[in-house]
Amino acid sequence: MDKNQSIITCKDVSTDRLKDISFELRRKQIMTIVGPSGAGKSSLLFLLNRLEEPISGKIYYLGQNIKDIPVTQLRCEIGMVFQSAYLFDGTAEENIQYGPKMSGKLEDCNVDRLLDLVDLPKSFKMRHVTSLSGGEQQRVAIARTFANKPSVLLLDEATSALDIKTTEHIEELLIRLRDEKEISILMVTHNLKQAERMGSQTLYMEEGKLIERGMTTRMFAHPETNHFEKFLKE
Amino acid sequence: MEGTELSNLSLLFIIVFVFIPVSLSYWFSLNLSKTIIWSSIRGVVQLFIIGYVLTFLFDLPNWQGIGLWVAVMVVVATINAARKGKNIPFVFPVVFIIIALTEVFIISLWLLFGYIPFSAEKVIPISGMIIGNSMIAIGLAIERLQSQFREEKGRVLAALSLGATPQQASLQIVQKTLKAAMIPNIDGLKTIGLVQLPGMMTGLILGGVSPMDAVRYQIVISLSIFVSVAVCAMMVTILLYRFYFNDKMQLININS
Repeated sequence: MDKNQSIITCKDVSTDRLKDISFELRRKQIMTIVGPSGAGKSSLLFLLNRLEEPISGKIYYLGQNIKDIPVTQLRCEIGMVFQSAYLFDGTAEENIQYGPKMSGKLEDCNVDRLLDLVDLPKSFKMRHVTSLSGGEQQRVAIARTFANKPSVLLLDEATSALDIKTTEHIEELLIRLRDEKEISILMVTHNLKQAERMGSQTLYMEEGKLIERGMTTRMFAHPETNHFEKFLKE
Repeated sequence: MEGTELSNLSLLFIIVFVFIPVSLSYWFSLNLSKTIIWSSIRGVVQLFIIGYVLTFLFDLPNWQGIGLWVAVMVVVATINAARKGKNIPFVFPVVFIIIALTEVFIISLWLLFGYIPFSAEKVIPISGMIIGNSMIAIGLAIERLQSQFREEKGRVLAALSLGATPQQASLQIVQKTLKAAMIPNIDGLKTIGLVQLPGMMTGLILGGVSPMDAVRYQIVISLSIFVSVAVCAMMVTILLYRFYFNDKMQLININS
């Protein structure tokens, strides 16, 4: 497939918290979203996973309006990982199998391979989720999302509750998954260093508006707007 | 009945009982004296009014007396239980229908199996127990459903984001809600007769019925209440959880 192919296209999307958001996410691209609290970053991810509905504007997934795609299918293809792992009561295996089980594709779910993908040993399969550390829980959450074989991964401050070492491991994991699975990643982060490390493109949002966007290296070196420049200095 | 009649004068002596908690409240500075006195007076007045109302109803033709009072009980129980979830759409009609259907179903079985005749003296007290317990179970289920959706919002969103339908995403919430609504009744069944004699059985024994006959009636009423509690909790939970989602399988915030 064409590397420049647009996976997600947002056109003039507005909600009660977002105003006229437009951008494109391309295949194998990692895009970061930064901005102060209440900027609408998480709301934007919720729209893409169709956990919320826009008032106006259109969102396309592989050229198709997401309203024309069955909701459960769309949510499998555009996976989401939250700030908290939100694991369900049970073992790591039961959590990883959740998505495929719900869609009746349990036979396609190889838990060992998914654990391996997120650098967890097979012995973790039968571990109850409450016995896992924060980093391990987040890895299980990522594996759980990957069990649905998504082509886009939305990360809503997925590493903000983790220590630096675990965060670095998860970042390495995401880059490897992008390369191996050819997925696109859209990640919301409060951590500017992380945005700089991870994103080839960055979106800067403030009060529900997309203030600045572009190549991450250019934006962080030479911000075009006073808003983003001020935000970087803070 | 012999040995069970209370004169107005002997009833007055019960005032002594009220002074005990009032004194305790005063002694420990609980500031509850006024509330205790007011609640006691209110309870006594309410019971006398009910006594006069029941006397009036029992003098009416059976279908009129039963119809009138059961309708009042169902409406009052609906208001009491449904107001715990007033932010949930259609909660009042849903709760009304559930309580009314459960009442009709249980009383029909009692009449069908010949446990009681179709008379206001029998149907109204039994209906009171069925409707009252249904009201408590529904209130508990609504409260638990709301608190679960508040506490488990993140997990429900995570489940939806993984492609689960609202039904699949709410499964654990529905299970926990049903357990919470039914467990007080299950615990009550376990200890029935051991900790305290149930109200109906006590009433029958005080009224001169033999303990074994009283036990037979108690078994029927206890199991009837258990069925009504289980059915009401299940129906209200299954019907109301859907209102937490829209037709696009999105979680909507209806909790206050």
